[in-house]
Amino acid sequence: MTTSSVIPTLPGRYYVDPEIFALEQKNIFESMWFCVVRSSDLGKPGAFKTVQVGTESILVTRARSGAVRAFYNVCRHRGATIRTEESGEVKRTFQCPYHAWTYDLDGKLIAAPNLTKMADLDRVEYGLVKVHVREWLGYVWVCLADDPPSFEDDVLAAVTERLGALDLIDNYDVPSLEVGRRIVYDVQANWKLIIENFMECYHCATIHPELTEVLPEFADGYAAQYFVGHGAEFGDEIQGFTIDGSAGVDRIPGVSEDQDRRYYAITIKPQVFVNLVPDHVILHRMFPMAVDRTVVECDWLYLPGVVAGGKDLDKSVELFHRVNEQDFEACERTQPRMSSRTYAKGGVLVPSEHHIGAFHEWVQDRIG
Amino acid sequence: MFLFAKLGCDSMIPACPLASLPRGEALRIEADPPIAVFHTEDGEIYAIDDTCTHQDASLADGWLEGCEIECPLHASRFDLRTGEVDAPPAKRPVRTHRVVVENDVVFVVPSDAPPNLPPGVTVKGQA
Repeated sequence: MTTSSVIPTLPGRYYVDPEIFALEQKNIFESMWFCVVRSSDLGKPGAFKTVQVGTESILVTRARSGAVRAFYNVCRHRGATIRTEESGEVKRTFQCPYHAWTYDLDGKLIAAPNLTKMADLDRVEYGLVKVHVREWLGYVWVCLADDPPSFEDDVLAAVTERLGALDLIDNYDVPSLEVGRRIVYDVQANWKLIIENFMECYHCATIHPELTEVLPEFADGYAAQYFVGHGAEFGDEIQGFTIDGSAGVDRIPGVSEDQDRRYYAITIKPQVFVNLVPDHVILHRMFPMAVDRTVVECDWLYLPGVVAGGKDLDKSVELFHRVNEQDFEACERTQPRMSSRTYAKGGVLVPSEHHIGAFHEWVQDRIG
Repeated sequence: MFLFAKLGCDSMIPACPLASLPRGEALRIEADPPIAVFHTEDGEIYAIDDTCTHQDASLADGWLEGCEIECPLHASRFDLRTGEVDAPPAKRPVRTHRVVVENDVVFVVPSDAPPNLPPGVTVKGQA
């Protein structure tokens, strides 16, 4: 028996077929924990964001008690969208602009025209429909499933699997970091192309010259995500994780000696990437909008003192911003050819990409 | 006491024990038309018609700030002391009612002025 050095990718239709995307929306994005909002973006009660999760629009807000709440962005009366803006702030209520059904920040129906004449209408039963919420790493995660999967098994386990131990991420104290920069990328590519790209480094030496300068081992094509507990080491001449290798900003105090001068990357399926370096954390949230379009929100998180002190973050942000642009350009170059007759059976994964095969099996298993 | 003698106790509607209406809270009495009783943060108690004069909404479900109640539907604000409205969409004042607290029970003395009800809301027995 001979073994091939390459294994197949998914067939091309997995990246262009709206029916497959619809299955992914239902069986993946609407079934799993999905990271939606930085908790600090909901600064006070009534602050809200609307996000797309699968096919649904979700309204995420903070109640009077300070607790985060998430609801389907759908009026219980005749189905109008409650809020159409991406973000905003209400004083006390969410009011449907159609017939003025009015809900408090806990979702309860508190007023509607002629409501007093409908005494049988239960105000909780006809309140906004709630979505399960968790907060972790300073982010709000929602789950649209009636019976959510274990957050520990699905989300936390991804960190354990990559870093070797869950508490190693605690050293970066991600919840207490602050957003120093946020860039939103509107990528014309299927979400899986973006995940696959993030998981491998076979492309690094070709399209990421600056990153490979900072992390020389990336030139051999083996990504940090190929190994367990391995962080890619900074080059000898490199002072910090910056566009030109110059010194970064204040190191996060909890980062251990083993973690210093290293870059760690974690994929939390289905839509989060976490990048850890000694002085900041970069967190990507992907929002798959269509089979060929994915919005990626990327946050650069630093110590509060670094952000408050107004330190120049340009060189720090520029390195991964450039990586993002290089990666997304590659994904956008790939997307249009996924429907080529020559790609009907897909392409191949080389040995340094073989771990992506497990991701493909996972996708196929989820969508049945 | 002179007031009671003049009005007669029959015209007072018992609303609730004072203790069951904390400051900042409101109560709707199913009178005809319904009456809303408010206990302000300053400790005053006021009663007005519960129905907004613009559209059928319960002011007892609205937002109490000082001596004003904001309609939960379209945010017109009514002065609890005078019934006057601050801004459209409501244009007419709500009727105010006298409040009497006796033996720690809140009573409302309904006004005999005609109410300003919104379109489609009528007093029972009247077309």
